Amino acid sequence: MIEQLVPIVPGFTEVVLQAVEQNPEYGEELKFGLAALGVGLAALGAGYAERGIGAAAVGAIAEDRDMFGAGLLLTVLPETLVIFAIVVIFLI
Amino acid sequence: MNAIGGSNPEYVNARVRARRAALFDEDDYRKLIRMSPDEITRYMEETEYEAEINALGARHSGVDLIEYALHRNLAKHFHDLLHWSEGRLHVLIARYLRKYDAWNLKTVIRGIYTGFPYEQIQTDLILAGDLDESLFERMAQAESIEEAIAILEGTVYHDPLSTAYPDFEASDILVPLENAIDRQFYGRLLGDRSPEGSFVREGPMAMYTEFLQAEIDFLNIKNALRLAMDASDVDPAEYFIEGGRLFSPDEIRGLVADTDQLLMALRTSTYGDALGPLLDDLETADSLIEFERALEGLLLAYTERLANVYPVSVTSILSYILAKEREINNIRAIARGKEAGLAVSEIEQELVII
Repeated sequence: MIEQLVPIVPGFTEVVLQAVEQNPEYGEELKFGLAALGVGLAALGAGYAERGIGAAAVGAIAEDRDMFGAGLLLTVLPETLVIFAIVVIFLI
Repeated sequence: MNAIGGSNPEYVNARVRARRAALFDEDDYRKLIRMSPDEITRYMEETEYEAEINALGARHSGVDLIEYALHRNLAKHFHDLLHWSEGRLHVLIARYLRKYDAWNLKTVIRGIYTGFPYEQIQTDLILAGDLDESLFERMAQAESIEEAIAILEGTVYHDPLSTAYPDFEASDILVPLENAIDRQFYGRLLGDRSPEGSFVREGPMAMYTEFLQAEIDFLNIKNALRLAMDASDVDPAEYFIEGGRLFSPDEIRGLVADTDQLLMALRTSTYGDALGPLLDDLETADSLIEFERALEGLLLAYTERLANVYPVSVTSILSYILAKEREINNIRAIARGKEAGLAVSEIEQELVII
């Protein structure tokens, strides 16, 4: 799924840049909208990463309950992606 | 979504790796080898095999109990694999587990050949494949091998076995029939590994193909050696299983006659790098049994390496299947060896430990 999303990114950027060029007054509002979109995409990526890790973690926990702590920790690690993305909101 | 579409290799792999870690290691074998069959039973009761030993303990005893428990445990684990896996992964595992159909068929045919009743061969059946136990029971009760083959009507094994039957009748050795089964199994396995029939060069599917090719290669070596040792005038090329990449039928004919040359060929082959030290073992092996054990060890080591290249793919699961199977064979060899009163060193020869 992620693989199919990647090719549309350059086209999307193109469209946005054109829109800003034609209507300069939208620029200010647009940047918040795009930052929000960035956070959304980061969350999507984190979710995709957690899918695999979560599946493996549940498998490991099913075999050995002591793996619960490590499994939980590793599963939520990609969540840091979203936190970094939120930093962007404060930077603009 | 990922390399093997719509499937869940992460989940299955995590579970398989945990179970792999629970397999007996060298220390366990060292302990087992010094025990009597009853002690082995008690030892197994404290491990992985507890449930099976307890369930079967009332009905069986001694080495039979161990053997039943081992096979039931094996079938349980492999059913688990099928149960957990989804999508393409499930298809690949199920296809590989049909190996036990081939194994069971061979066992039943051997049973009829030697005139054993079904009750006695039942211990040797491993019900992890597709074919039903009742089918094997009906086959085993048949009067002759020909009748047994007729019962297989409707399965994929019927035609190749009927074709091989005249050969068996003429020579009265089981090799043609067993080979027909192997050929059918591996032929199907490799035949539809990719829907387009094209070769995949990269990724887990290539590893899967490589895994099967390695298995076929080693099977070919083993078959050829056996035929050579029998000193029969059967042409080794006739029992060659297609799909390996090491030898062509013509090559194997020449190599069988000369073991040194065979070792040289192995050393310079694709397996050479990974298997250098094990090949030295092969060189010092003087009997065919040792040679075969060393080959099996080679295959295990090789598949283990493959499994590490793509950790989250079907190859590591298949290599677990092989490792588990080896454990079962090792424990059985110890138990049977102890029952027959073999010396520790003799039993050690029978084991394959990686």
